Order: sequence, then C-alpha cells, then structure tokens
Amino acid sequence: MSEERETRLLMISPSSRLTPEMLARNIHSMGVEVGLKETCYGCLIEGRRESVLKVAEMARKLQGNSVFSKRRAYRMGDPVRCRAQHGTRPGYSQLEAEWAALPFIEAGLDALDKGEKYKEIPAKEKLSVEKLIEICEVKL
Amino acid sequence: MKVFIDPPNSLILFDLVERFGHEPLSTMAALQERIDNIEVDMPPMNVTLDDVVSGLKYAGIEVPSGVRGRLAVWGPMIEEADAAIIVDDPPFSFGCVGCERSELMVKYLIKRRNIPALRLTYPNSEEEGKAFVGKIKEFLEGLQ
Repeated sequence: MSEERETRLLMISPSSRLTPEMLARNIHSMGVEVGLKETCYGCLIEGRRESVLKVAEMARKLQGNSVFSKRRAYRMGDPVRCRAQHGTRPGYSQLEAEWAALPFIEAGLDALDKGEKYKEIPAKEKLSVEKLIEICEVKL
Repeated sequence: MKVFIDPPNSLILFDLVERFGHEPLSTMAALQERIDNIEVDMPPMNVTLDDVVSGLKYAGIEVPSGVRGRLAVWGPMIEEADAAIIVDDPPFSFGCVGCERSELMVKYLIKRRNIPALRLTYPNSEEEGKAFVGKIKEFLEGLQ
C-alpha cells in the first residue's frame, strides 16, 4: 500500500445543518497541511496519511455525527467527475445510494453516544403464495 | 484488526469500522495502488494481465471475466482479513459491485476462510439505523 499519499472523501449527512462551505472553512482553520477541494456532497482532502487521518478524525467531531469519511482511490484533481468528462467513476452510484441512508446511521451513532440500547427488529418476511392468492382474489 | 467490508467500497461500513478502532479493507486502497504504481487509467474497468491471472485463483476459467476481475481485487483482501461485515441485498444498481455472482463468491470465500462475519441489511428507518450501528459496534468490540 502506498503510505505517502492518501485522498479522503468527507460526506455530510443530508439531515445535517453543516454545508460543504462551512466544512471546508473548518478544515482550513484546523491548520493541518492537507490539500482541500470543496464538492457538492462535502469535501475531498489529500495529503500525507497521518495529516489526512488527523483531519478526518477532527471533521467527524465537528457537528454531532454528521460527517462521514472514506478513502478515495483517485487523486483529488481527477478530471473524471460528475457529468463533466465521461461521466462518473463507478463508485459514485454507491455513494449516491448510501448518502440517503446517512441520517439513519447518524441517528444510530447519536443513540450510542447517549448510551441507548437498540431494539432487535425482526427481518421482513417474503410474501407467501397463500397471501398473494388472497390479495389477487379479493373482491372490491 | 483488519475487517473486510462488503460492499467493498461502502462509505458507511468504512466509516463505522474506522470509528470503532479497526482497519477496514476496501476496494479503494487496492485501486489506489494500481493508480499510483502501475498507472492504470481506470481501474477497476481496466485491468492488467496480472489481475486476470490472480483472479483465476478464486474463480475458474469458465466464470465470466467480470467476476474474475472483481475477485482479483477482493480475493487478496479476503485472505488478509481477520473478520468481515457483509450487507446483504444491496440495491442491485450499486456501481461496480452490481454483480450478484461476485457477491455470492465473496460470501463463499468468507465462509470458507471461517473468520467471524456479521451479516446485516441496509437500514430504512431510524430504529433500523440504531440496530445497524449497535450490532456493528458489538461485533467489532467482541473481536480479539
């Protein structure tokens, strides 16, 4: 693994009051030597591994549990983005789909911080054939 | 401990594993190595001959090349992992993990390695979110 460069993606939960601009300003004011790029979903940061991890750790504590982070394989200045050039990288749909679930994860992390216990939720069962027949044959 | 996450490019799982003090094994790190050292233009879409050969270790020659290409990236990570967190039934349109056969192979490889594994589904409500995060925390704290 190359330890020299690490690029990270910081994504803000849609339920948060934090904006990408506020996040970028906060990261600038942390005084850690990393490159930063503001994006529509949050920020991209790039630099030495230790510096990037430090910023990601501090960014997670900015406003509750509303900032999430993961590594990014491609460099911060990668020209392939959104619709600008040849569409997105393949991982973008994954991000888009998970972005919608971030408020639920945020609620889970907040509950952990408060020391709440979670309730076991039974898995949804598949529709039985009998039930399907019953639905199909119902007379309105 | 090194924890393999499935989907291997998941933001939620990567973040949670790191928050709870473990090292997530993800596609991103493996692809970064290809970008920095081999200078492949667009992994995982572009592969090298070595990738194709290493994929053969995990899936036979008759298996579609897409499955082998994916396993060439994920297989070594599964071998390296001390534990795994798997999210079942991710929406089928999920980017580069949108291959059910590869998903089945990943689950099989994890089962064959006999490492501790947690299986979950993506949350659709706050209550489910609390259970999702709580279970991951309990699982990761229980790893020795």
